[in-house]
Amino acid sequence: MKTKIAFYREQLNITQEELAKAVDATRQTIISLERGRYNPSLHLAYKITKALKKKKIEEVFMVE
Amino acid sequence: MIGKAEWFTRRKYGGWGLFPKVWQGWVYVLAIATPFILMQYTNFLSEKAKIVFMVVWGIIIAVDMIDIMARLKLDEREKIHEAMAERNALWAVIVVITAGVAYQVSSGIVKGIVDVDPFLIAAVAVGLIVKAVSNLYLDRKD
Repeated sequence: MKTKIAFYREQLNITQEELAKAVDATRQTIISLERGRYNPSLHLAYKITKALKKKKIEEVFMVE
Repeated sequence: MIGKAEWFTRRKYGGWGLFPKVWQGWVYVLAIATPFILMQYTNFLSEKAKIVFMVVWGIIIAVDMIDIMARLKLDEREKIHEAMAERNALWAVIVVITAGVAYQVSSGIVKGIVDVDPFLIAAVAVGLIVKAVSNLYLDRKD
């Protein structure tokens, strides 16, 4: 699954660690998500979308 | 209890248990190990008193570490990884136990007396029960 997590995160000027804390995940999980190596649960995807101040999950996560 | 979960991370590559993540974790390790070390060099306590102290201290430490591990937070990815790693470890253990039982049975047949270690049988039986109960619980939960 491709994501725009890194793109939106840099737009908001927040680090991977800060995003991880905001969504109750670890920095390693955020790294795996940004690299497209891990598919999150719907719950985590929703939390990340909110933390990145986006309205739709599809704006952040794209199913290949 | 005594230690805090934030001081530790779960062991991933070197067995089971905890590993200090910050300096407070290392202080905790030193603090729990010190009484055991001091007991070796203390003369004012009898041997019986030393044994009692070490057993009680060991129980306190074990309970505290179980409490810390229960409070250690894992995110969803870490939970999946841990579950898969533990499953793989269990399968490896089952293979070795089964080989051990097979060896004991076959060598017993050759000798004329079949003598299988009851703890091996108990390990497999307990594993079967825990798996069945876990699946029952998960089926009802979801």
